[in-house]
Amino acid sequence: MICPTCGWDNLPGSEECGHCQQDLTPLDRPLPQDRVERSLMEDPVSALGPKPPVTIAADTTVAEAVQTMLARHIGALLVVDSCGGLLGIFSERDLLTKVAGLHEDLAGLTVGDFMTRAPDSVADDDTLAFALHKMDGGGYRHLPVLSNGQPSGVISVRDLLQHITRLCQE
Amino acid sequence: MDLARILKVESVSRLQPTPPRMVQASQAVGDAVALMRQQEVGCVLVCQENTVVGIFTERDLLRRILALGKPLTLPIVHCMTPRPVAVHPKDSIGSAVRLMEEGGYRHLPVMDGGKPVGILSVKRIVHYLAEHFPSTVYNLPPDPSAVQHEREGA
Repeated sequence: MICPTCGWDNLPGSEECGHCQQDLTPLDRPLPQDRVERSLMEDPVSALGPKPPVTIAADTTVAEAVQTMLARHIGALLVVDSCGGLLGIFSERDLLTKVAGLHEDLAGLTVGDFMTRAPDSVADDDTLAFALHKMDGGGYRHLPVLSNGQPSGVISVRDLLQHITRLCQE
Repeated sequence: MDLARILKVESVSRLQPTPPRMVQASQAVGDAVALMRQQEVGCVLVCQENTVVGIFTERDLLRRILALGKPLTLPIVHCMTPRPVAVHPKDSIGSAVRLMEEGGYRHLPVMDGGKPVGILSVKRIVHYLAEHFPSTVYNLPPDPSAVQHEREGA
């Protein structure tokens, strides 16, 4: 790695120049190649316009949660405590894997027993690339968006896909 | 090659859609649920005499069974989504994305000559996009709070 300041030939991967101590880490940082990549690297999660979260308490019954998901046309609900802090997420997948066929009376079950606890989340100023990485790596369809530690929205895999394809069409 | 062009010229088969999971129209919803749970998938295709007559997804489970309090012993043919929108393996990725967005679908059956050859999910497409930007998506900044609290081997 040739130091851009003094021209010293450093070992590949050096963090600073062995001659002038110039920081070399920016040399390895990826550069955006096109508009989509630039948006992924620079735009924050809030650019997707996350929908306001639909929240429920942990003692809500599963039957109520199902009705809420249906009425609001969504696939995941955020479960919050009395101060609004995020406890978990309750999604269609939880219903499929933990409820359907295993329990009869949905009105007698509480969401707290079936939700996915402490879900992965993103901050509203994280980049879209970061959110894409989390969704793809974890296999999530929904990610809670936090601002100052409180849930402020939810982004879905479809929001990301729509954003990327819209950039492609422009 | 830039992404807009890739979405136009690359075909759905390039994404290697997952092999379809199928149930017969006469089977009960419970069988489909058990299959989905065991195979960790979000949808199954419903067949009758070797043709696909419908699709059954998590959303159908929520909407047509759990919300109405119906039993899982019902035949699946009464609670599936009939005649699902499908794509051909040679269709472009872009056209599949457009169908998903227009219809709000998360899964599209991939059909070749009337036979189901796979299921294309929105997650698979997002995975493909993530792979397309490896340096951007997979090279994330280091986490300064990740500290090893004990010495290795100690």
